[in-house]
Amino acid sequence: MHEPTYDPEVLIHQYLEDQLTEAESAAFLDLLQSQPELGDRLLHQLHMDAMLSDIKGVAATPASVFQVVEGSAEQTKNAQRRFSIGNLSSVAALAACITLAATWALRFMSPASDAEATTDAVAVLARGVNLQWESESHASGSPLTPGWLRLKSGLAQIEFYQGARVTLEGPAAFQLISSSEAYCTSGKLSAHVPPQAKGFRIQTPKGTIVDLGTDFGLDLNDASSPMHVFKGEVEFHSKDLPMQSLKEGQALALSDLSRSMVADQSAFASLHDMDERTAESQRLAFEGWLSRSSLWNGDPSLLLRFDFQDSRSNRSLYNHALKASQIPAGSIVGCNWTDGRWPGKRALEFRNVSDRVRLNVPGQHAALTLSTWVRISGLDRSYNSLFMTEGYADAAAHWQITHEGKLRLGIAGKDGRPPHDYDTTAIFTPERFGQWLHLATVIDPSTQEVRHYLNGDLIAKLTRKDTFPVRLTVAELGNWNDGGRRDRVAIRHFSGVMDEFLLFNRALSEAEIARLAE
Amino acid sequence: MNPQDTRAAQIFLSHHDFVKGVALKYAPWPGLMEDISQQVFLEFMAKEERWDLEHDLRPLLATMTRHVAMRLWRDRTRERPEVVQKLADHIRHLAEERETPPRYEEEVTILRSCLTKLPDKSRELIQRYYYSDLSTPEIAAQLDMKADTICRALSRVRDKLRDCIQREMNQGGAAHA
Repeated sequence: MHEPTYDPEVLIHQYLEDQLTEAESAAFLDLLQSQPELGDRLLHQLHMDAMLSDIKGVAATPASVFQVVEGSAEQTKNAQRRFSIGNLSSVAALAACITLAATWALRFMSPASDAEATTDAVAVLARGVNLQWESESHASGSPLTPGWLRLKSGLAQIEFYQGARVTLEGPAAFQLISSSEAYCTSGKLSAHVPPQAKGFRIQTPKGTIVDLGTDFGLDLNDASSPMHVFKGEVEFHSKDLPMQSLKEGQALALSDLSRSMVADQSAFASLHDMDERTAESQRLAFEGWLSRSSLWNGDPSLLLRFDFQDSRSNRSLYNHALKASQIPAGSIVGCNWTDGRWPGKRALEFRNVSDRVRLNVPGQHAALTLSTWVRISGLDRSYNSLFMTEGYADAAAHWQITHEGKLRLGIAGKDGRPPHDYDTTAIFTPERFGQWLHLATVIDPSTQEVRHYLNGDLIAKLTRKDTFPVRLTVAELGNWNDGGRRDRVAIRHFSGVMDEFLLFNRALSEAEIARLAE
Repeated sequence: MNPQDTRAAQIFLSHHDFVKGVALKYAPWPGLMEDISQQVFLEFMAKEERWDLEHDLRPLLATMTRHVAMRLWRDRTRERPEVVQKLADHIRHLAEERETPPRYEEEVTILRSCLTKLPDKSRELIQRYYYSDLSTPEIAAQLDMKADTICRALSRVRDKLRDCIQREMNQGGAAHA
């Protein structure tokens, strides 16, 4: 069988579009390594592509790019889809940009005030592969506060705020003490300690390991508890014996300090292993999601399912539900395509006040389940829309996150009855920003409840005050408008990334919600 | 509006293309240049009282851009498959090793002029791809051609523009254009 041949010109173009597959990336890397002149060509093409895209950003119309050599303020004012300093040529735009910068500076850069949020976190779970927790579970990207991490199995990569990186293999019991210290009673770990984290300590029941800027491994699941130094120097301090210093290539059995050995790096998970296992785990998760997708699509109660796998050049979201003929595709306004939960999975980024997906879900619904995957960047607005019906009257539903971090379903009043908000407690703290979260809310007429779920777990169960069906009709993902009732519309856009959205006209069970959150 | 803020923003904007050139050198990843320049702008404005606006700000902006580029590069590539990361790192090294300084500012000015000199077919292709947001398969379908043919045609148009820029620069640069 012949290996596929690749045209370098096509590979360059695919790189410019960020569309290379893994096989194409490997082939392109080979070509670049064997043909140095191809590298020059790629950089020329990349440079030109960037300039052409950039000029587009300051052009009001395609024609103006070709007709006018020097752009004017008038020509540039309506061009951008998102905030771009490249387009600032008017005083108003300049003022707006300074205001934006000042607001940003005030929010993130000003000295601490009484109201400033704080965190106890000392490390972050950078990555996890097949993690099974004995203690409270943590998702990849979670900040970690001092306390025990008890792993049944799997591989966890922990990055301490002072710079040390520990790869922990379960089963393990590992206690975070500070941003430069941990205590480990069982498990197998390897640590990379860069110079800026010199002095990083791991305490064990046998003594304390002090790292002087190095790489080392420790296996407390082995009866002899060997410590291996792969690079640099490590000190081992025990209660009753003088300090021992280990250099690169040396190993020591902590259970018998007189027994020295040769370091064996292959016995510990490397970063490369971690990468491979992460990629494999992500691939399996993606494939699992794909195989479950068709089952959900066939559910007769499914009104809407956007999987966000539409072509990047497409400006609409295809509805994969059986009822797609009644509920057409969503129309993307402003949002940019970005990466979703796994490599190869797409998602939409909402960050500008104009970003939204417009859709129309006809009818009134006694029961409803809303489900989505989101990665929140911040809660900038009083109301941060997930899914909001146009306006807010006559039983309209508003699914949103409040500025304080509460998940809320607001249902507008009807026939003179007042509106009601169904809130969780404040669950979206800054520690959760940047992580993929599954959110679901159910209106269940049989129990007269509104239930909220986070990552498949029930987090709030509230009694519904009214029994009338809710109205959706014209609605928006990630934004809101009042249907032209007022000249100025409150800004309620979502700031973050949305990966999938499902809407059912029945109340899903807890088990079904848990499956959606897998 | 604080006059100092206005002055700082104006100065940054006058260096904007310089920042983009540096961003492209340290983070040659499609679409990343704009994100980097926006972030550098925000960080520059957040600390604007520290900068001496009367002196040449290029060294400062180059350092800031390099740091932001490295940070965003890491964020953008670290969740990609290993082989894609390797490819991206290789390309970044190629870009960093280039001895020619970034000339983005001059080139982008001349490019506007070169675009007006393109033959009709090339101009139409650029319009469809860069300004009408059509993908190569969509253009291919419209023109009843293969997507790969469109990729190659776009490459050739970019080559033509590169040659034009080079010619104009040899004849005196942006002022001449």
